[in-house]
Amino acid sequence: MIKFLLKGVLGDKNRSVLPIIIISIGVALTVLLSGYIRGAMGDIINQNARFDTGHVKIMTRAYAENKSQIPNDLAFLGVDSLINELKTSHPNMIWVKRIRFGGIIDVPDDKGETKGQGPASGMAIELFNTNSGEIQRMNIPSSLVHGTLPKQVGEALIGQEFVDKLGLEIGDKVTYFGSTMNGSMAFKNFTITGSVRFGTPALDKGAIIIDISDAQTMLDMEDGAGEILGFESDEIYDDEKALELTEEFNARFVNNTNEFAPIMLRLKDQNNLAGYLDYVDVYSAMFVTIFVIVMSIVLWNTGLLGGLRRYQEFGIRLALGESKGHIYKTLIYEATLIGIIGSIVGTAMGLGGTYYLQVVGIDIGKYLENATMLMPSVIRAQVTPELFYIGFIPGLFAMVFGNMLSGIGIYKRQTAALFKELEV
Amino acid sequence: MSKNIITIEHVTKRFPVGDGVFTALSDINLELKEGEFAGLVGPSGSGKTTLLNIMGSLDSPTQGKAIVMGRNISDLSHKESAQLRNIHIGFIFQVFNLLPVYTVYENVEFALILQNIGSAERKRMVMEALEWVGLENMANKKPSKLSGGEGQRVAIARAMVKRPNIVLADEPTANLDAANAHAIIQTMKKLNQELNTTFLFSTHDEKVMGYLDRIIHLEDGKVALDKIVLPKTTAL
Repeated sequence: MIKFLLKGVLGDKNRSVLPIIIISIGVALTVLLSGYIRGAMGDIINQNARFDTGHVKIMTRAYAENKSQIPNDLAFLGVDSLINELKTSHPNMIWVKRIRFGGIIDVPDDKGETKGQGPASGMAIELFNTNSGEIQRMNIPSSLVHGTLPKQVGEALIGQEFVDKLGLEIGDKVTYFGSTMNGSMAFKNFTITGSVRFGTPALDKGAIIIDISDAQTMLDMEDGAGEILGFESDEIYDDEKALELTEEFNARFVNNTNEFAPIMLRLKDQNNLAGYLDYVDVYSAMFVTIFVIVMSIVLWNTGLLGGLRRYQEFGIRLALGESKGHIYKTLIYEATLIGIIGSIVGTAMGLGGTYYLQVVGIDIGKYLENATMLMPSVIRAQVTPELFYIGFIPGLFAMVFGNMLSGIGIYKRQTAALFKELEV
Repeated sequence: MSKNIITIEHVTKRFPVGDGVFTALSDINLELKEGEFAGLVGPSGSGKTTLLNIMGSLDSPTQGKAIVMGRNISDLSHKESAQLRNIHIGFIFQVFNLLPVYTVYENVEFALILQNIGSAERKRMVMEALEWVGLENMANKKPSKLSGGEGQRVAIARAMVKRPNIVLADEPTANLDAANAHAIIQTMKKLNQELNTTFLFSTHDEKVMGYLDRIIHLEDGKVALDKIVLPKTTAL
């Protein structure tokens, strides 16, 4: 019987090719959309984690309260001992120190006079400590537009926008002007070894990247850092783990009233990300759900039409002595087969599209020119394990459900009317 | 003596029509014996198809008993009715109603698949049925490639392949030209004689009537005339 039905399905394009095409398109769109939304979410989380928030971040309470002002006068001192302690108590985490700083970059001409100036948004990271993983974490090799990484103190990477705006070349010297941790004036000359573009407007504006040892000297922050960032060793953010870690860490200082006592914040607690992520979570879930429902209705309708189109065939089969229950069962078997084939084809198509968008992405840079949130200018999809089955919800279930509903008509069929119906 | 295949006892069939009731059959009594080649004739609305439905276990009477192959139709569940049709009753329709995606062979084979007959035995039975109707060389053709006469012969093979006790045919020649109509009726007559299968036609066609052994004339849901006749044995 199965072989017989299979022949029928393969022989009738309206029963096989057409539903498979519709299911495949629906499933492919579902997979692609899910992959894109998840990829975009992952990109935003990842970008924030790598460049700003870490999976967790430790600051002094005072620094944390005024974080937007980059208040280095409220930064940690004795940071190395705190990091050593963290490495001992949480060996599965990677701990790095960073200093953010603001100021002005001055570009001198041949005579030493100011040729150009611009506001600097500096970041000092553990560039020379290859074990820190900061170079890879911040994706600096791929972001390097010209030149090389700094190899020694007094060297800096500078944002490509700065390079373009101030007419800089690799090897040129620039002077940083700002204020030290203690409020006195800070200035230091740097040799530009390379230019970078991270693809995130909020980062690329006025970017200057130096080794943290340079910043500590320049800003009078010996053994100091504004922020200690913690990352899971697999670099994947796990909100539950982060919450557990922050609660445990902060509990140790709950009775400490010192404004320089450390406080740990998880990624979601920073940059208004909690609200944003929850918002995006809810809306993406709603969007995917609505899409899945719409596709289910379309595919259900396909199943209904298929059932109606075969009205005569079912009539003949009833007259030949096939029971209604058996016809109904075979209808569901066929729908399952078509649903599975369509879902597999659609999932493969959707995964192909998702992979393409994961590699190429969609450039939204022009919409982010004045954005302050750390968002990548190219939003990429992400191939995740759930994409391998999510398309089966509309593809298989909707097809089968549609046929189950349309098949109810078989039970309502009056065999007494068969002679009349089959005369047409 | 031939045994009774169908016994109709005081059968009445009523249908609700609007607020009223339409009586399609009224107190019908009939017996159909093994090997009969009979026809239900009468004007439209006389109850031919309704009676055919009841005899084919597609419908049940409002009153009275319809005994088909020893089973009272009114006592059968839907599944039992389907089983009765599957094993004992073959149907031939005015329109051939072949499944277009399957070949001639597969259309005929379907009735046997429903009976879970093994493939080797199915093949033998299908080819034999196609030989009966002279279409053994067209086994792999699709219905769309057949002429009207060929299509109806496939329908006969489909009805006969399972060796049913009764074949119910509703206006089987209505869509055929005279030559094909005679050929079809002769094929059925031959099968009736060789296999002793009971044939019951619902028909208006004079050509069919000429071959019948028995004519049951229905009028206003009642048997107006039930007569044994001397049938034709050769084509006109």
